[in-house]
Amino acid sequence: MKQDCLDIGIIQAFLDGELAHTESARVSGHVATCDACALMLADAEDESALVFPALEREFASLVPTQRLWSKINASIETEKQSAPFWQRAWAFITLNLTTPSFVAAAGMIVVFGIAALLIIDRGYKSPQVAGVRPVQVSAPQPAAPPVASASSPDTVVSNIPETRPIMAEQISLRSAVRRPRTTTVTGTPAFASPDVSNGYFPGEESYVKTIASLSRSVESAKDAVMRPGERVAYERDMAVVDDAIAKMRTEVKRNPRNESAKQVLYSSYQNKIDLLNSVSQKEELVASLK
Amino acid sequence: MTGSGRKLEYGFVLAVMALALSLSATGQTVVAPPAAPATRSIAKAEIPPVPSMFGESTERSIKVDPSINLSLCVSEGTLKVNGWTRNELRVFVQDGSNFEFKTQQTSPKTGDPVWVMVTAVSDRNKVVPRSECIRGGDIEIDIPVNAAVNVKGQDVTSTIDGVRKASVKIIGGNTFIRNVTDGVTVSGGQGGIAVESSSGAMSLDSTTGNIVVFEAGPSDIGDIFRAKTNGGAISLEKITHRQIEVNSISGSVSYSGSLLNGGSYSFGTSNGSIRLTLPTDTSSTVSASYGFGAFRSEIPITTITENISEGPVKSTVGRIGGGDSTLRLTTNNGSISIRKP
Ligand SMILES: [Zn+2]
Repeated sequence: MKQDCLDIGIIQAFLDGELAHTESARVSGHVATCDACALMLADAEDESALVFPALEREFASLVPTQRLWSKINASIETEKQSAPFWQRAWAFITLNLTTPSFVAAAGMIVVFGIAALLIIDRGYKSPQVAGVRPVQVSAPQPAAPPVASASSPDTVVSNIPETRPIMAEQISLRSAVRRPRTTTVTGTPAFASPDVSNGYFPGEESYVKTIASLSRSVESAKDAVMRPGERVAYERDMAVVDDAIAKMRTEVKRNPRNESAKQVLYSSYQNKIDLLNSVSQKEELVASLK
Repeated sequence: MTGSGRKLEYGFVLAVMALALSLSATGQTVVAPPAAPATRSIAKAEIPPVPSMFGESTERSIKVDPSINLSLCVSEGTLKVNGWTRNELRVFVQDGSNFEFKTQQTSPKTGDPVWVMVTAVSDRNKVVPRSECIRGGDIEIDIPVNAAVNVKGQDVTSTIDGVRKASVKIIGGNTFIRNVTDGVTVSGGQGGIAVESSSGAMSLDSTTGNIVVFEAGPSDIGDIFRAKTNGGAISLEKITHRQIEVNSISGSVSYSGSLLNGGSYSFGTSNGSIRLTLPTDTSSTVSASYGFGAFRSEIPITTITENISEGPVKSTVGRIGGGDSTLRLTTNNGSISIRKP
């Protein structure tokens, strides 16, 4: 145990996404260097995972719910044995509605969410951000380019995330479609070739630059586009990712041959890009709904 | 606070379910006759709205090509899409916007619509809708089983059942997909995603919602399964895709099923645990990178290389059985466990 060890309340708040960004970063930073607290976090995290079966039982004991479900199932189902799955699925995916942080945020959502939507409604535009599309920094293994025919409406449902720009155009119900630009970073050098002349590890620079350009647009948009509960979760996830990046960079610097640290570093960069992307994608969706 | 809060949430869930039930009770009884074949390239529905006993409800139907593509935008409401064997598209909106069909493309062979949009239209005595997105208490759609359905929207609880393809892109609301035969793409925003008994390439992502999938497989060789959530948990059972990529930032990942020979499986989370339940005859090369927490396996692993010394990352590369598939596991703060069924 260290002097500045976390109490379980702080850890719970961290897991529930109730901490401010700096506090959240402090927690993940501390957890990274303190096994006792890491263990406590892991336990608490396991406990929240246990809420699911508990919730399921609670759901099952709600007689009206049960009855409603069987009726709903009867109307949408062809085979009976899948009903338990839907019950379970419902309990599972509505779990986030029942976490304390969500309930706490619910009131805020009502107030700020409406305000935000009003603001968004009033000709809220940010073409710079709208141009930012799904980014996949192709690190070690480049994926085969997807084949998509723009002429066939069949591509409206795309199997491949990389074809999203086309899909987004076709799925848009507005005639004046904003043309998204795909940001793809390719040609990442292999891990093996050492290149520390510019202060980056091999392959790191493309991630860092992509993140920098995404961050600029997202920073200006995130308040408007995210609801309070979602915003809190975003900050927590960002703290987790930033902490992982910082830790792994230090480790790779210390031991450039640590392939595992590199693997975690690059996957953390990709997580950060995905996280930033989720904001810009949402912003684009919000804009297209008007 | 949590007690009453949860009660409230249950109340909300009950209300949603009641809505869904009332939809299923009232919606399915009125079915309009098929519309005349649309011969023009841009054709509007020929069927006038069918008045309903309940508030402002509209029902329209149109004859369509069996492999119809449907696009619609829903600003809020409960959406239920059902595949049926008729070559007809039927849309019923209860307590919501009036709407029309916009045929974007027709089949050169039959002249029937192959791509239809459903868009909101203004009623005479109402203000012009701001967008083409439908607002409805309940929206129910029947569509040919070979259809591709594309939904985008704001707060939508949707159930899509028994069509060829499904694509959903929403800000919030839960999405249920089942019996879809050739591909599922869901970008669920804050909502949760549940997929059951479906095949084809899958791409499921959510920001704070959980993802749960039960019984999914490829429809073509090479179909990839992807699931990604920032803050939610991911639970997968009986997935038979040969390439599976699963990632969460602050949630746990669980997988129960086989690893197919030649398959490639990647499970990652920054701040959560990874739990796999694998059959004892599994054959896989495992590469695990983990920070805090432990790596445990009930199934024997022959270690090839291992680095569990100091430093923020530990790693283990090992073989289960003959090593015929690739399994990559990555977590920062969390444990990895492999269990027997
Ligand atoms: Zn500590």
